[in-house]
Amino acid sequence: MNSIVVDGMAFSLPLFIIAIGGIYSEGSGITNLALEGFLGFGAFSGGLAVALLGGAMPPGTSMYLAFLMAAVGGMVFAMLHAVLCIHFKANQVISGVVMNVLSSALTAFLANQINASVFGKASNKFMLEVSPRITISGLSRIPVLGGFFTSVYPFEFIVIVVALIMGYILYRTPTGMRIRSCGDNPQAVDAAGGNVARIRFGAVMVSGALAGLGGMCFAYSISTNFSPSIYAGFGYLSIAAMIFGNWRILPTFFACILFGFARSGGYYLVTKLELPSSYSDLVLTLPYVTTLVLLIFFSRSNRAPRALGEIYDKGKR
Amino acid sequence: MEETPEAIVRFEHITKRFPKIIANDDISLSVRKGEIFALLGENGAGKSTLMSVLFGLYEPDEGRMFIRGKEEKIHSPAEASALNIGMVHQHFRLVLNQSVTENIILGLEPVKRRLGLFSPIDMKGAQEKVRLLSERYGLDVDPKAIISHMPVSARQRVEILKMLYRNAEILIFDEPTAVLTPQEIDSLLSVIRSLRDGGKTIILITHKLDEVKRVADRCGILCRGKLVGVYEVKDISTQQMASLMVGYDFETNVVKDVHPLGKESLSVEHLSYVDFDGVKKVDDVSFSVHQGEIMAIAGVAGNGQVEVADMVAGLLSPASGTVHFNGEDITTVDIRSRIERGISYIPEDRQEVGLLLDFDLATNLSLKRYYQSPYCMKGVLHKDAFVKTGTELIKEYDIRSSEGCATRVRSMSGGNQQKAIVAREISMGGSLMIFVQPTRGLDIGAIKTIHERIVAQRDQGKAVLLVSLELDEIMELADTIAVMYNGKIQTVKAASELSANQVGEYMMGVHHEA
Amino acid sequence: MKRKGDGCKRAMIRLVGVGKGQDIKTALFCILLALVAGSILLLFLGKNPLLAYKSILQGAGFFPKARYAGHRSMLTDFMSLLNYTTPMVFASLSVAIALRCGLFNICVSGMMIASGFIATVLLGYSALPAALARPLVVLVGLASGAAIGALIGWLKYKYNTNEVVVAIMFNYIISYVVSFFIQTKFVDPTTRQSLKIGQNARLTLFDQPVGNLKMEIPLVLPLAVVCVLLLSFLFSKARLGFELKAVGMNRKASRYAGISVGRTMVTSMVISGALAGLAGVSYYMGCFASIQPKVLPSLGFDAIAVALLGNSTPWGCFFASLLVMTISNGTTYMASTLGVLREIASLITGILLLFSACGAFLKGEADRFAEELEEERIAAVKGGRA
Repeated sequence: MNSIVVDGMAFSLPLFIIAIGGIYSEGSGITNLALEGFLGFGAFSGGLAVALLGGAMPPGTSMYLAFLMAAVGGMVFAMLHAVLCIHFKANQVISGVVMNVLSSALTAFLANQINASVFGKASNKFMLEVSPRITISGLSRIPVLGGFFTSVYPFEFIVIVVALIMGYILYRTPTGMRIRSCGDNPQAVDAAGGNVARIRFGAVMVSGALAGLGGMCFAYSISTNFSPSIYAGFGYLSIAAMIFGNWRILPTFFACILFGFARSGGYYLVTKLELPSSYSDLVLTLPYVTTLVLLIFFSRSNRAPRALGEIYDKGKR
Repeated sequence: MEETPEAIVRFEHITKRFPKIIANDDISLSVRKGEIFALLGENGAGKSTLMSVLFGLYEPDEGRMFIRGKEEKIHSPAEASALNIGMVHQHFRLVLNQSVTENIILGLEPVKRRLGLFSPIDMKGAQEKVRLLSERYGLDVDPKAIISHMPVSARQRVEILKMLYRNAEILIFDEPTAVLTPQEIDSLLSVIRSLRDGGKTIILITHKLDEVKRVADRCGILCRGKLVGVYEVKDISTQQMASLMVGYDFETNVVKDVHPLGKESLSVEHLSYVDFDGVKKVDDVSFSVHQGEIMAIAGVAGNGQVEVADMVAGLLSPASGTVHFNGEDITTVDIRSRIERGISYIPEDRQEVGLLLDFDLATNLSLKRYYQSPYCMKGVLHKDAFVKTGTELIKEYDIRSSEGCATRVRSMSGGNQQKAIVAREISMGGSLMIFVQPTRGLDIGAIKTIHERIVAQRDQGKAVLLVSLELDEIMELADTIAVMYNGKIQTVKAASELSANQVGEYMMGVHHEA
Repeated sequence: MKRKGDGCKRAMIRLVGVGKGQDIKTALFCILLALVAGSILLLFLGKNPLLAYKSILQGAGFFPKARYAGHRSMLTDFMSLLNYTTPMVFASLSVAIALRCGLFNICVSGMMIASGFIATVLLGYSALPAALARPLVVLVGLASGAAIGALIGWLKYKYNTNEVVVAIMFNYIISYVVSFFIQTKFVDPTTRQSLKIGQNARLTLFDQPVGNLKMEIPLVLPLAVVCVLLLSFLFSKARLGFELKAVGMNRKASRYAGISVGRTMVTSMVISGALAGLAGVSYYMGCFASIQPKVLPSLGFDAIAVALLGNSTPWGCFFASLLVMTISNGTTYMASTLGVLREIASLITGILLLFSACGAFLKGEADRFAEELEEERIAAVKGGRA
């Protein structure tokens, strides 16, 4: 029973941090389908850092280097999307798809190449240290709720802290307010003296950093390595969570919890009922089906940021 | 000893030119501190341009500007704001998903502590400041309300608060009552008065003369880029203002026979339209157009005329009311069926609506009949039919283009694009022709030709509904004139019974009852 | 200051072109940029780019190799290339027709899986004679794709849903549902994929003896060419094609002209879906004989690159497909002869995609420069006269 909570949280939280990245980017008006590519590139960067430097570090610390480099890598890669959308005024949907294709191609190539040239082995993976799991002995014995304190990955704490910080910035500081305004009415921000291009660029970089971090979390929890299988559609799932959460952080959190627990609950049911594991695939469709239903019934009222996806032309008055 | 009141803004010989027109021609006027000054004129008279110069959106080609006695060159709205000049535009710059206070402080956010990226916004302090400002000037705005839940008139007051928050002393209002109901107009005028009483200087860009009478101290009248004069509002009547705004004698260029009117072709009953923001742009409009009649709807831009034309053509759905054509109720009939029943339409926006810019001229000239024989047979388009019709129309209407039928319409000049639309709509041969601004962007010769064609259509027994912003075009062509102001029809009379000045008065709301 | 910029402007106009030839020139320019980028990468790896590109062409069947295995020749390599190009042609046409109407079909991968699966289940395991089974496979593929396209189009029309997000949702729902059915009913325990379909339903003939060679014969390649021709005809001459283009360019003006915008958009998604369905059956029941569960074929996303490169025109898509598949197929040989990683293929394709995405921007800039230079010229002439 605990496994539902444990596995659910381990999945929901990385999903959540990626979704927050999406909220920043789309909240500023830039459509971001590239989260899938960003999370992959972040996982690649972190995995590479561990592969290159991990040996020289004391045991247990390489993980934190990985998270840092994952965020940096995701952020750098996201700059490409930002440049394409903001300076080259490319269609943002196309740019997003381009990012995903490029990320998977680039990371596959580089992983193979670096493994071959630097380590002399034929592999497309970077191995990671197995992540420790923390159990808070007192609290973990509470029935039901104890699951939240059992076998927790360290990254779950990192995600919670980062999420709180990002939420604070978005809703309580001038920077966050300007980001949110750019997504509704960039002319208003321009008239107030803000630099729309710079704000949006920053927001996309943030989305890259957060997605990279989330991707690294998935790498540790799901397969303990970086490999092409990191591109499992979690980026798109986080977009679904963001839409489900109406582009606001708290509802998106609940959407991610819902999606994560549906997934872990499904797996649990399948094992308990001793159904063949393929039934878990049906459960995995639930998040997408519910988002679809939501879209159908609420698209008329159009809850997305008003200026989302529109190319902002400063010259137009 | 009488002291001349100090001029807080003074324009000296301001001239601003655009490629085809002199928008401001040697304008010198001054605005006194603490007064409400109305800047009057028809569309294109130069009022918005002059204020854009003041607000830093344009720089004058010639002339100087003095603010509080000191010469200034204002290069941007930010510089204008630093000089305590603020402007409420016709199109608001508001972030709909945020609160009143958030909108007001955007760009100048007060923080509780300086923590760089993490500085928390002092929302409570800002809300309090907004509340105080709102109370002081009678604006009655809730600092916490979300903009998307607020009606347009309340949003306008948020724009005013934005200026007051930035200590604006000189407030420019650009056609502020265009989007308001009569009650809301009353509130706004009293807000403007209390702003003046609070020591602010107000410049009002408007064409609504009754409102000028109610609230302004002095008015400056512009006509075709030139300043006609500055007058004390209490010393001048609205009729005089209107005639100075419209101001010239013209002679009818086109000779029109007087024909008896035929059967009723179009009948519009109690038509109303409410736009996306909830503003009632057309309010209970009824009129009819007969065969062999040119019915012209006069009015300053934005008073609902275009919406009426769109509703008759089928591009907009009325909130209430009906449209009858040749006795048939077509209120819910789709656009193509209306075209097939014989309704031609020249829309206001020629580039976004009237033409498919990336297609060639021949295609555009047959844009509404492409699916009929001989242009399309069994689902296949026949280019030669398009070229044949295209060549004929190009010749007949003198449409100039770089490659004739094959020219990409986007590369054609505005005037020739307009000719192409006119050519198409007239050649459709329908019995009802709706023309909105048919001669916009054309030279005198072309205008005369088009006018002759319109009269010829009417002589052939067609019904013509003409919507125009050019008073002289209306006086020249109309058999019957209807004037729209604030979404309502002010009067419908035979053209012979109205003088240009009288029409101008109705257009400016002189005879308007609140 | 103006002088220095002029040189760059002229170069840009030369490379990208203005007016009529612009689309082809821009596409060629993007390809050139990608090849240059690839060359730099190869040089960095210590390989000769020209040799590398030559070996790609050898691998794809455009140049003869030094040696061939038994029953293989340049022709068999080329036939193999054509075999893999066929699904890409269908898929890129699918994306292109939606793009022309102003819509994005991101659901091509999902539609491929759905059509591949339905045809596999209905006909792949049947004992029908090939002459009957194969045409039916094509029809089933067409119909399943069209149905999904109709659904997406209808949802957009009726509920104003964003077709991109709906398509993404469909991709995953289809992927998981099909995976479920494969694993419960149709799984091959050794390969973990669906059971191999019978030869009678297969749309590609493998190891077909022709003379003393053994080659792959893609039976639906002619159909792909027919589709290119049909779409070409559609866009140049047909009423429907005109309406699709008009709606894609300007919905307001199309409405004003009396065109039913909603119905046109649904029609475009139906046709797009049908083409994606054809891509699905030619992929899963042609190039391959089984479906790998839970994998969204990257072909569906690469097709977007191809459609962009081909500027959404039918023949453009055809040749762009050929180019991309040449890179994809040819790099296996390059990898074995030069020791470069296979993965470089998808990287070069990705870079090509990146430059294609900038295509619209490049065209716009070239147009702008041409206008500026023209204005300067007119001003200079006037100034000279004064």
